[in-house]
Amino acid sequence: MTDTKIAKMTAKDVHVFYGDNHAVKGISLDLHQDEVTALIGPSGCGKSTFLRCLNRMNDTVATCRVEGKITLDNEDIYDPSIDVVQLRARVGMVFQKPNPFPKSIYDNVAYGPRIHGLAQSRTDLDEIVTVSLEKAGLWNEVKDRLDSPGTALSGGQQQRLCIARAIAVNPEVILMDEPCSALDPIATAKVEALIDELKGRYAIAIVTHSMQQAARVSQKTAFFHMGDLVEHGDTTDIFTSPKEERTRDYITGRFG
Amino acid sequence: MTSSAIFLILVLLSLVSFAMTRQKALTRAGGDPAKLHSLPRHYGYFAATCVLLPSFFAFGIWLIFGKSIIEGLIVSGLPDRLFEVGTDQATLVLNRIRLVVENASSPETDPDILAAAQKFNDLYIRGIWAAFALSVSFGLVGFYLASNRTQPDFRARNKFERIMLIALALSSVIAIATTLGIVASLLFESLRFFHEVPVTEFVFGLHWSPQTALRADQVASSGAFGAVPLFAGTLLISFIAMLVAGPIGLLAAIYLTQYANTKMRKIAKPMLEVLAGVPTVVYGFFAALTVAPFFRDLGITLGLDIASESALAAGIVMGIMIIPFVSSLSDDAITAVPKSLKDGSLALGATPSETITQVVLPAALPGIVGAFLLAVSRAVGETMIVVMAAGMQPKLTANPFEAVTTVTVQIVALLTGDQEFDSAKTLSAFALGLALFVSTMALNVIALKIVRKYREVYD
Repeated sequence: MTDTKIAKMTAKDVHVFYGDNHAVKGISLDLHQDEVTALIGPSGCGKSTFLRCLNRMNDTVATCRVEGKITLDNEDIYDPSIDVVQLRARVGMVFQKPNPFPKSIYDNVAYGPRIHGLAQSRTDLDEIVTVSLEKAGLWNEVKDRLDSPGTALSGGQQQRLCIARAIAVNPEVILMDEPCSALDPIATAKVEALIDELKGRYAIAIVTHSMQQAARVSQKTAFFHMGDLVEHGDTTDIFTSPKEERTRDYITGRFG
Repeated sequence: MTSSAIFLILVLLSLVSFAMTRQKALTRAGGDPAKLHSLPRHYGYFAATCVLLPSFFAFGIWLIFGKSIIEGLIVSGLPDRLFEVGTDQATLVLNRIRLVVENASSPETDPDILAAAQKFNDLYIRGIWAAFALSVSFGLVGFYLASNRTQPDFRARNKFERIMLIALALSSVIAIATTLGIVASLLFESLRFFHEVPVTEFVFGLHWSPQTALRADQVASSGAFGAVPLFAGTLLISFIAMLVAGPIGLLAAIYLTQYANTKMRKIAKPMLEVLAGVPTVVYGFFAALTVAPFFRDLGITLGLDIASESALAAGIVMGIMIIPFVSSLSDDAITAVPKSLKDGSLALGATPSETITQVVLPAALPGIVGAFLLAVSRAVGETMIVVMAAGMQPKLTANPFEAVTTVTVQIVALLTGDQEFDSAKTLSAFALGLALFVSTMALNVIALKIVRKYREVYD
């Protein structure tokens, strides 16, 4: 951790247990405002579990227990005084499988602003929806059919709709859990381009199975293995001169 | 020789043929099962069915037609003296003979009848032996044919599966045929009713008083068969029931699927389902003996006039009865909503209740509507509770404090006790049954359509 910049989110010695299963073993990692951090590693290495700790989505799993300290702007997000609802409004999430609500495209994007009361008027709400869809690069494709159901879009469009939906509540951090694993290469390219666009405005963490994707979209990469954080650093360093043998074996495709 | 003994012998025969054919198949293959097309037991199964099916068929024919054929023979051989009074006497004579056959110490003294009974017994014993011989020989022929075909390259497995397929198809045909038969009988009896009472009177008439004159000179009216009050009563009670079951069932389903922890769910869900297992007659006396008097007394305290048999009491108890329907079907609909949708909403910072009302319930809505419709159709067809607690007055009223009557109650009333099957009074029960059947079937069809359409969205 030689970073001199102040971290947006900091995880210190985070352990996660599912019942007796020790899934994440003492991970410390920083997320920065203007960076994309890629979490890579073989299946079951705990990267998604760790990601879901950052907006406390693991709370929905009854047997899950989280230890250690995670802060957002130096506030402990597991502190009892923290309202998990507000936390999730600040730390948005995009899931592996596109999950638009069975509502219209407009209502999908307007959902978050409505429940958080972000819009004072219908004009405000229109503005938020338009801007979010523009930021997600979907506006031109859907501007004529905002009333049609979000589920009728193609897989790639659905995923960008989900990103627009996350952006609409004006989060500070966006977590992406393998956002392209259900998409074809063209849709993947669009989503990757979008992640690049969003980089400056949000701290982004992305879990991915694709090494190429990690190399393309991220500035920092963290390699997870069996619940441990094996190596963490600049993406270029990790991919060109990994310090650990396990990292080298994984990124050269020898296992995982 | 009794029928059950014959039955046992036939089963034994098929077991023996199973074992023999199985062995024969093995021997033909030189003891190496791999040389057979099918497993040895499949040859056995095939032979066993070849024995069972024809022999049971032969024996079944005897069981169905045997007795009546013998009786026909005997009656035609009786002296005319016994039939002097008229043709109706035939059944009477036959009954006398039957009495002697079934009960040796009967006080019958007529020598002709006694002789006929003796003859019946002789014929019956001969008949049963003949049937036995016939079915065994059918079985043996089947065994012989199956045994002949037991070659290593005979596809016994495929043949046997084919036979099983036909058996399965037959079972479903029986279920469908029964349904069609019931519908047809409802339809034909209703048509007879509509010959006497015009359809328009039945559908639009506001008076129900199914008393018909027994004799031509009787003063009683010719009866009124307007079914509207009955359907109004049915709807009123079903409506009250849904007012109770709808909210409680849905809220219970929401709690159990969204908030309750696994332990609570494990206890509460079966408990709720026990409600569905309580016999409706138990709900009936609960309604009649506890709830209805309670409302009557409450009415007295409040200065309201509540009848001791009221639509309110019946409706509320019926509502309690259908809570498990609503809750368990809504539960299924809510559980079918993908978790990813819920997660998506939670991740946007929605509270659990916002997630439920704005994402989960809208997504589950078609399923929930289907659940409600099925519950309504259950309420409309429910009989026991209303018989015991709703009263008998066919009154056209929307006042839940009064006694009303329902379609099902009237059917019960029309068909209990003595009846003649040529009067409009009795036949009207079939018309009511038909109307009830059509309406609940329509509800079920609509409900299933909605549920199915909804399923397609997520599969």
